[in-house]
This record gives sequence, C-alpha cells and structure tokens, in this order.
Amino acid sequence: MKVQEEYLRDLRERAEKALTKKAPLGPDIDLSQFYLCSPRERVEDVREIEDQLKEAALYAGVELEGEKAATYLQVDRSAVYERVQRAFQGKLEIMSSQEALQKYPELFEYWWGLVPVDADKYTAFAELCPTEGYFIRVFAHTKVEIPLQACLLMSERARVQSVHNIVILEEGAEANLITGCASVRGNESGVHIGVSEFYLGDNARLTFTMVHNWGEAFHVRPRTAARLGKNAFFSSTYVLLKPLASIQAFPQVFLEGEGAQATFQNIVFAKGNSYIDLGSTLLLKNRGCRGSSISRVCATDEAQVFARGRLIAYHDEVQAHLECKGMLFSPRAQIVSVPELEVHGAPRARLSHEAAVGPFEEEAVNYLRARGLKREEALSLLVQGFLNLDLPGLPEALQRYIEEIIRVTSRDVL
Amino acid sequence: MLYIEQLKVAVGDTLILDGVNLEIQEGEVHVLLGPNGAGKTTLLMAIMGMPGYRIVGGRIFFQGKDITNLDVEERARMGIGMAFQKVPTISGITLRTLGRLVLEKRGLTDALEETASRVNCLYLLDREVGKGFSGGEMKRAELFQLLLQRPLFSMVDEPESGVDLDSIALVGQALRELFERDQVRTKKRSGLIITHTGYILEYLNADRGHVLMNGRIVCSGNPRDLFADIRERGYQECARCER
Repeated sequence: MKVQEEYLRDLRERAEKALTKKAPLGPDIDLSQFYLCSPRERVEDVREIEDQLKEAALYAGVELEGEKAATYLQVDRSAVYERVQRAFQGKLEIMSSQEALQKYPELFEYWWGLVPVDADKYTAFAELCPTEGYFIRVFAHTKVEIPLQACLLMSERARVQSVHNIVILEEGAEANLITGCASVRGNESGVHIGVSEFYLGDNARLTFTMVHNWGEAFHVRPRTAARLGKNAFFSSTYVLLKPLASIQAFPQVFLEGEGAQATFQNIVFAKGNSYIDLGSTLLLKNRGCRGSSISRVCATDEAQVFARGRLIAYHDEVQAHLECKGMLFSPRAQIVSVPELEVHGAPRARLSHEAAVGPFEEEAVNYLRARGLKREEALSLLVQGFLNLDLPGLPEALQRYIEEIIRVTSRDVL
Repeated sequence: MLYIEQLKVAVGDTLILDGVNLEIQEGEVHVLLGPNGAGKTTLLMAIMGMPGYRIVGGRIFFQGKDITNLDVEERARMGIGMAFQKVPTISGITLRTLGRLVLEKRGLTDALEETASRVNCLYLLDREVGKGFSGGEMKRAELFQLLLQRPLFSMVDEPESGVDLDSIALVGQALRELFERDQVRTKKRSGLIITHTGYILEYLNADRGHVLMNGRIVCSGNPRDLFADIRERGYQECARCER
C-alpha cells in the first residue's frame, strides 16, 4: 500500500511540474480557457439514454442499443452507462478507470505504466484533473468475437474532458474494441485529452477501432501507448472524417515479445481549417516482430495534415513498413508525409517506407460522370475508394463496419 | 436521334475535328473508320461531352435538343453512354460498387450479377475498376456497365482491340443486346462504334459506315463495302476519292 501511495504521489509531483510543458508537436492549447466537464447522472437501462446522445454516439460509429459484448458510455465527466452482456460476465469487465483503481488497487502498476505522466501539459492535466475514462480487462484465454464498445461524449461548451483509459488483454485473450468519441451538438468548442494504455499479454489479439466526430472548434490530444507480449497482435484503426480545430497524436507501440505484431491505419479526411498531426511509432524489440503503419489522407479547403510514421528496430530479425498516400482536393490544402526509420544495433532489420501525395485524378472523375454520376457523387466515390483499406487481421464484420462509416460520411465530404 | 453539324473540336491548342457532319437515326448503328490520329476517339469524346475536348465550332443535337454546351453527366442522364478504350483505375471501388450505382441511377437494384454473367464479368465484380484488367476484361467490363446503364445512344471505342478471338463473339453478342439488334419491332437504340479491324461487323449488322480523315468525314456508305475498299486500297484512296 505504501508503495502505491508513493507511486501516486510521485506521479502527481511530476504532473505538477509538467503542467506548462508544451508538446513538441501541434499547436499549443491554453487549457486555462476551458472549464472542467460537469458530472452526469448514471442510468441503468440503455433506453434511458437521451436520443441526442444516442445519435451523437452513432455518428462516432457506436450503436448503443446494438448487440455488443460490453458497452461503456461516458458523457462529459461521468460514466453514465456500463453493461457486460450476460454471456460474457466473468470473462471480461468494463467500468470507469477510477472505479477500477478503487476496486483493484494493484492496478496502479498499469496507471501511467506506458505513457509518461509528464510527457507534456496534456498528460499532466489528465493526471491532475481526471475525468474518468474506461477500464477494460479481458481475462486469460477468453475470445470475444462480438465487439466491445466504448463511447466518450462531450455535451458542454468550452470544456476540457481528460480521460484515462486502461485496456488489459491477458494471456491468450482476444477482443475487438470500438471506441467512438464525439461532441453532442458538434459546434461546441472544447478539448478532449485521451490517455490510453493497452497491455496485451502473450498470444493476445486486439483490434482497436476509433472513430472521432468532433466539432470545428475542438482540440484533441490523444496520448496512447501499447505493450505487446510474445506473439501478441495489435491492430489500431483510426478514422477521422469530420473537421475539427486540431488533433495531434503520435501513439507508441512497444513490441516486447518475440513474434509480436502491430499494425496502424489512419484514415483521414481533412476539411475546413483542420490541423491534423497524426502518426505512430513502432518499437520492434524482439525476434520476429512485425509492423506496419499505413495512412490514407484526403485533404481539402485549407486543411493541414502531417502524416508521421516512425519505425525503430532493435533486433536483426524484425520487419516493418510505413506507407502514406495522400490526395489533395484543394490548392490550399497541405499534406506533409514524415517517415522516420531508425535502426539501433540491428543491421539486418528490414524497414521500408513509401509515400505518394498528389491531386485526385480528374480523368477518373470524368469517367464516373460519363456513367451518370454528378461531379460531387464522383468525387465522394473516389474519396470512399481511396480511404477504403483492406485491413489485415481485421474481422470481416469490422472491415464492413469501417467501410460503412466511410461510405456514409464520404457522401457529404465535399 | 443524333445530329452533328459542322463540329470543330480542339484538344489543347490543336484542332482535331474540323467540320464534322453526321446524322444517326433512331434504331441505327453506325461504324466509324479511319487511320490512326484521324480524330475518331475525339469525336466520341466530344459527343459524350468529356472535359478537355473543347467544342470551338458547330453544334450537337440529341433527340432534337442542342446539347453542345451540356455537361457530361447531363448527357449521360439524357441517354448517351460510352465504352471507353482507356479506363482509369478507380482505387478501392469495385466493379460491383460502380455497377450498383449505375443501376441505382435507373431506379433498379437487381440484374447486376445476371448481366455480369452474360458478358463473363462475374469474376471481375469484386476487383477494383480498371485495375490490372487485361484488354479483353477491360472491354467486357465497359460493355457490362453500358448494359446496366442502357443508354439510348451508345458509343463503343474499338470493341475488338485487345480481345482474343474467343471473346469477340461475346463482345459481339453484348453489342447486339446493347443495340437490341435481335428485337426487330422495338429497335430504338442507336450507336456509333469505332472499329479498325471490322471483325465486329461479323456479329453486328451495322447500318452505315463513315470514314474520318484529317478531322472530317470524307466518305459514308455501306460499312461492309467501305471496309472491303479500304482493305483493298487503303485509306490513301479515301483521301484521293475526297479530292
């Protein structure tokens, strides 16, 4: 207990020192301009959730009334609804992270175990002014095919929501997690800070899909890291198709165990004045580790996008690939591809990257118009096709789900 | 159905068509012959209204309406369609998805697979449009889309090029269906086909042929006779004949 208290005190002290520390990437946000979110009442039945919230969740890809293995809904600063389907009770658990810390004090070892609390002012803020977040644990050797879902909504203006999520898949566990984050009315200003730490035991498999649907005055600062055991598999797909003020995220995956695999897919349609700086870092530390980081970016209006990828090899027998494809729809939009490949004492490691950024093909648009499609329909179809990725290791149902989100949202992207 | 009057078309700064006159009646299929670079594809592209093919003179009428200044999609919606010779790759969009959209434009939802099977395109349905298609697959995929689109007036750019002999019969049958050549009473659909080899005439009895040279139609007549003359004497004779 003493160790835990000291650990938590140390975290707090480090956070306090980092409260003014600017992040190395992305525009700086003055958090003092925003208020903390208000608490909301908990509901016991999904039918009690307001329609407005259900609709906002749906636009972030989360169907609260759908058949899911487990559901977590947070609105503003409160976990308002949690449910584990009866068939999965005793096999997994889902609750707010604060509740989990109280229930299982030993979890403190996972609390800031991967993301440094003093990485920047946003991580520091999340520690000092926490507003829940979800805790998910799938017990050893449990395979959950039906997706789990978590939804984080903001309904107030000028607020900051700072969640801390912990996901643990014990040895041999398998799960598909969908997370949707959205502002309810869409026009609120605000800040969402999301710290997420994923722990995958040996032979665990997690496909993680995140859809964001914020408003044009919203700043988002996810801070994510994952640690993978032997032969663990982690696939992360991030989908952002609506404009926002800014997002900056550069998640890290530590491939610690032999044969661990990680894939990142960022699917972005940047619109309006959105400032988007997204990437992923894969640290390949053991024999047989594999990884890929793929970005598909469309940018229009005056949007600015930085598509980053960083592969770091620490072992000879590792292999990883970066790929960035960007399509520009406006002369004022900008896509910057920033690949970084690093090899540390592993001269036989195989790292590669490819990037292509250019305008959309007018010839293809005209071809589709000759089939009777309006110009806007043709452009939407091109966007839809460009953003559609054949995602390795993703269950077919999830693949269809992502395609559907892209199909529905790309209808009115241009 | 289609009436073209003194059509002049430029691509960039180059004048390609220099006063084309052409009339195709309802239910008629015409073939367009001519040496490489004569402007055959340009004529089809200009009738379709493809951007980049700038009409600098003359007019195009379709079903009595002046369409010279209409956009490509407006012309498509009026019932003009085209099977292209060069097809761009549409990444991430399968032939099935595009086919469905084309059908939806006609308010239909079924008939996709059945149509695909008639032009041996079933196995192409889940491939990305234009990606890695062989010459024959490209032609069949184009005809498949036209069959879904069912235009009143279809243009086909070299249906037999790159197609092996076995597939030519299939292409020929698809063209017969497209132009309803087996339905004597309801024959209302018309078209214009570019052909270099004339093989397609074995499967489709075209009503009239035209020779396009140096941006003008220099000769018109029975397509089989025209072909026989060209085979015997070459296009140079057409140029002399014009004089």
